[in-house]
Amino acid sequence: MLILNLVVVILLTLLTSIAFQGGSWLSWDFLTSNHAEDNPEASGVYQAIIGTFVTCLVCGLFAIPVGIGTAVFLEEYKPSNFWLRQFHGLVQLNINNLAGVPSIVYGILGLTVFVYMFGVFGKIEVNQPAPIEMGATYEYQIKTLGKEWVRFKAVDRNVNFFEVTEPVEITFGDGTTAMLNVIPKSESIPTDKELKLRSVFSGAKGSIFRSYSWYYFQFPFGKGVLAAGLTLALVILPIIIIATQEALRGVPDSLRQATFGLGANRWQVVKGVVLPSATPGIMTGAILAMSRAVGEAAPVLAVMGGVLGTTKGLTSLMDKSPILPITIYQWASDDNNQFENLSAAAIIVLLVFLLMMNAVAIFIRYRFEKRNRP
Amino acid sequence: MSNQPLTDSINPTANLRLRSVKSAHRWQVVVLIGLILCSMVTLATTFGIVFMLIYESSGFFLSDEIELSRFVTDTRWSLGQSKGEKFYGIWPLLSGTFRITGIAMLIAIPMGLIAAIYLSEFASQRTRAFLKPVLEILAGIPTVVLGFFAVTFITPYLLSPVGEFQVFNGAAAGIAVGILCLPLVASLAEDALQSVPRALREGAYGLGSTRFEVTVKVVLPAALSGIISSVLLSLSRAIGETMVVVLAAGSTPTFSLDPRTSSQTMTGFIVETFKSESVVPGTLSYYSIYAVAAVLFLITFTITVAGQIIRARYREVYE
Repeated sequence: MLILNLVVVILLTLLTSIAFQGGSWLSWDFLTSNHAEDNPEASGVYQAIIGTFVTCLVCGLFAIPVGIGTAVFLEEYKPSNFWLRQFHGLVQLNINNLAGVPSIVYGILGLTVFVYMFGVFGKIEVNQPAPIEMGATYEYQIKTLGKEWVRFKAVDRNVNFFEVTEPVEITFGDGTTAMLNVIPKSESIPTDKELKLRSVFSGAKGSIFRSYSWYYFQFPFGKGVLAAGLTLALVILPIIIIATQEALRGVPDSLRQATFGLGANRWQVVKGVVLPSATPGIMTGAILAMSRAVGEAAPVLAVMGGVLGTTKGLTSLMDKSPILPITIYQWASDDNNQFENLSAAAIIVLLVFLLMMNAVAIFIRYRFEKRNRP
Repeated sequence: MSNQPLTDSINPTANLRLRSVKSAHRWQVVVLIGLILCSMVTLATTFGIVFMLIYESSGFFLSDEIELSRFVTDTRWSLGQSKGEKFYGIWPLLSGTFRITGIAMLIAIPMGLIAAIYLSEFASQRTRAFLKPVLEILAGIPTVVLGFFAVTFITPYLLSPVGEFQVFNGAAAGIAVGILCLPLVASLAEDALQSVPRALREGAYGLGSTRFEVTVKVVLPAALSGIISSVLLSLSRAIGETMVVVLAAGSTPTFSLDPRTSSQTMTGFIVETFKSESVVPGTLSYYSIYAVAAVLFLITFTITVAGQIIRARYREVYE
């Protein structure tokens, strides 16, 4: 009894000490602003909330279907084929082992596979485009003699600087296009204002300008939220599989037999009877696994690094983004003590997040249990 | 499927039906292939981890600068620092990990087991309904939060009054990891106790035993394999725990038994190395991540497998 009281005391101490430290820092500004270097008063968790949300979305979209699929295969399909039976046993054995692998090891796996792809595509360098990509446009930008920045299309995306010698079609900042007027170095600057705006000396250098659309995709994924989300998915996959297996085992066999008796084949039984009646269990398990993913920092730290904020925000799945646990970690280890209080405030946000997810899980369990009662 | 002829003979629109059964069958094969592909993901993960650890850590062990014998015997580790002579004995990191794990287990095992026994054997329905959610909430607290708690509460308010502890020390991290493992031990051990059949308990009561005797002499021995495997599981969890030790245990690897000093663990080293942006594929510190991770994986994997063997071999099955 004493011990259990101690557990309650630990939990209360933990929550109150954090609430005490961070409570006064919680404000609307805190939720809507981003990390500011050396300025705790102006810092906030907006990007971190978005990042957490997107990362978990990627994670859930991958882990939940794959996890349910694996569990259905393990529980509902007992293959008669020899090889399939071996495979079946191997997968089951493997899941129990995977559940014991430290999450940081998954992080290293994510870094090696999703970010670097074992270096198969060569060394990945800063300011060089990824080997395979989609949704990116490459342009060179150059300053004309009229002090105007203009852009023109890049032919080779691997070349960072380009010397202009021939006229090309250029785009101005406001979207209008024109032909670039290249004048030899010996000539003087044209006096006509309009002509001056689109003139450069021959040999002027344009530097590369990359713009990415929202569906920008590259392979290997690079240090972005897609890689982080997939890594988290691998972390929670065993949890989802085990929870789903439990839920499937809870479906009474008589339901299956009755449906087989009606002439349904195995997949029809699974789809029409087993999965619907196991839904509450599966969903509770999935939500609890997701709440594990929300609080997991180590694998993401390995994949994305300790990002606190980015200037352009999250524009595509390949971008880095801060997430709540990493923000908490970075602020807590900051030399500036004010950030420690901010970290406590961020913890409150994270715990509220988790509380809401758990409340949803409990609600689902309660709702369906009531409906399924005979 | 075997129901095909049945449909044929009974249904007057057999032609139509037959086609639908056929397509249902075809669809079922497609689904089965999809499910097998899903299962492949977990297998691929394991093979990926093992292959990656062997392939990349070979870059460490086969490097000219590294002698394997010094890796397993030297008691100094300095790969985290950029300057100075390079020492690469794994022992300081191992000692950090085991110091923290030891403290954590000292907290989690007795408290977790007592909590489990109380919940399963002694608690009233109402206390259970209150305490189970408390344990579940404690289990759901993210580890980074517990690390924060260790730095801002455990070290300054619990440990500093008692002795001379460094700002970042192994004891605070150990206590926090213990708090983390406690609900895990409690819930798994409680499951094991609950699965002991009622008949055994009733039998012992019938022989005149007290509740305490029933618990200690009948239920505990019967649930022993489950309890041991729960302890082993939490042990491997404590060894692999990352965020708490990174925040609370400090970043100096020390080879000692003193929990008051900064004690970097294997996981702590991995994260610190990731954080220093200088890590580029191909360098020694990059490969050292994999070497340490390989050791970590080997240890946790051994513990997990041992837990499974114990559960499979010594489980008492009651009908």
